[in-house]
Amino acid sequence: MTLAPILTAAAPFALALAIGAAVLAATGHEPFSVYRLMVEEAFGGERRLAATLTAATPLLLTGLAAAVAFRAGVFNVGVEGCFYLGGLVAAVVGYQFGDWPAALLIPAGLMLALAVGAAWMALPGALRVRLGVDEVVTTLMLNFIAIGLTSWLVNGPLLARGSANSATPPIAASAELARLLPPTSLNAGFLISLALVIAYGFWGRLTVGGFRSRLVGLNARFSGAVGLAPGRVVFGAMIVSGAIGGLAGGIHALGLVHRFVAGFSPGYGFTGIAIALLARNSALGVALAAVLFGALTSAGANIQLFSDVPIEIVQILQGAVMIFAVAQFGLRRRSAA
Amino acid sequence: MIDDFLRAALVMTTPILLTALGGLINRLGGIVNIGLEAMMLAGALVAVEVSAGTDSVALALLAAALAGGAVGAAMSLVVTRLRANEIIVGLGFTVAVAGFVRYLLKTLYGVAGTYAPPGVALLPRFDIPFLDGIPVLGALSHLDALTWGAWALVPLTAFALHRTRWGLRLRATGSSEATVRAVGLAPLSIRDVSTTIAGALAGLAGAHLSIGVVGLFNEGITGGRGFIALAAFYFGRESPWRTALGALLFGFFEAAQIRLQGHGLPADIVQTLPYVIVIIVLTGLGIADRARARTS
Repeated sequence: MTLAPILTAAAPFALALAIGAAVLAATGHEPFSVYRLMVEEAFGGERRLAATLTAATPLLLTGLAAAVAFRAGVFNVGVEGCFYLGGLVAAVVGYQFGDWPAALLIPAGLMLALAVGAAWMALPGALRVRLGVDEVVTTLMLNFIAIGLTSWLVNGPLLARGSANSATPPIAASAELARLLPPTSLNAGFLISLALVIAYGFWGRLTVGGFRSRLVGLNARFSGAVGLAPGRVVFGAMIVSGAIGGLAGGIHALGLVHRFVAGFSPGYGFTGIAIALLARNSALGVALAAVLFGALTSAGANIQLFSDVPIEIVQILQGAVMIFAVAQFGLRRRSAA
Repeated sequence: MIDDFLRAALVMTTPILLTALGGLINRLGGIVNIGLEAMMLAGALVAVEVSAGTDSVALALLAAALAGGAVGAAMSLVVTRLRANEIIVGLGFTVAVAGFVRYLLKTLYGVAGTYAPPGVALLPRFDIPFLDGIPVLGALSHLDALTWGAWALVPLTAFALHRTRWGLRLRATGSSEATVRAVGLAPLSIRDVSTTIAGALAGLAGAHLSIGVVGLFNEGITGGRGFIALAAFYFGRESPWRTALGALLFGFFEAAQIRLQGHGLPADIVQTLPYVIVIIVLTGLGIADRARARTS
């Protein structure tokens, strides 16, 4: 009972590492020394660990956002779009109302980011529940719409004056989330994200709402028959998932980037999907997988500096993990389909 | 003037049309292909390399189709044999192949982003002299071979899907896997073939992007066209002709958007239109289904 989930989560990772090793070996690199260097760069020493946790911060929340939806049986792949919108909204609040005190400014920015993420998922949620429209395609399309919309806003109406690149003005110092371990960029956003993942763990195990959402995810028709309202649960999961995605973007803007730029997310929303799948929606799993992917990202940036291995090896590994995270190797019993 | 615009729209339709036809075939076989972007990218890179190396457009196209088909086959095997969710596998391939291509550019050619080897042979163009100068129809002159090929594929696909045994088996695999298995056919293999075809067509689409006009490869060369193709075949539902109409619509958008740059219409917004249309089409279909369910 205790071993099986670890095995099913480790198998995709091992396969991805094998593929990465093949790519490295074929291009004249020594896979094991590259991997060892990556582990050292990700976890060796306080600063490197802080960099890893900083990189894990957005992933904790995008993974959580995906898990909340998947758990209720909704396949929300629109977290990426919520992340962009949340980031933009928080950044705008952060520079527009820079004279507000931090105690007001930061909650306002984050709450608005959360609200915009939730609102963005209202349409696909309603379409799924009311009209049975497949949420995978609508949420995927909404990602591109959100990215185009935010990119237009930072290229035009919200472009920082005198700035050549597509970015908003920097946020006020009072809007920046507190740093935990200066000079590293690890910030309070990490604690907020971790707290939310832990809260999700308790919610899922101990509350009626958590039980209800799992039941609907496992069998919507049955839960409808026993008097739950699957439609309401599904819609709620969609909204909460969007809210967490928006908050993730807000934290990323106020905690790390300190403004909104075009290309704000290198696919955090999509990595979140891989994280939730690897974790099989468990809170502990989300935390572990987010740190693992954070380690990959921060190590990838460093190995490019210290060796001639291109940073894209990380992208190859992440994609491969995604592919194998949903593959079934016969470790689990076949569902009766 | 109008001819130039129409020709540009037709040329921009080509990669979307090729990919969308592949996606349509794949979807009728039971797989929604989110990895088309990856297959297109593979085709685009291989086409430039082979075209520069052999000076042969035919070989370049063949290689691009093989490369796209190989990515498609790999994706399909994970979906059909390891029973993996096709959406996630498709996204995973999009991420991994994009990373792999950039990795290759850096390690093999030592370039970041753009790869422009000398001596890339471009797709041949066909001049139709008596059309030159005729308004609208003049657009059909100077078109490249793949554009003609893509449009020839539309009736061919329609015929293959509805008038051949193969088409029937494919559609049956998508709509009723158990029946196909019961009559002794292998639905998973049929599905794999359909994904491989989709990959090959996407690979050709990639070749059109890289050796169609300019003769270079850029990591962003596909520019989300795999997803626009997805939009086109969702728009087209089960019909190759409707899918072609969708592709043409998006090709027009793209050409119009380039024309309108600097005229106040923001490119970022116009680029989102295909995606907005998909949501509208899906909503319309949902409403129609609901209405049908009520009346029956």
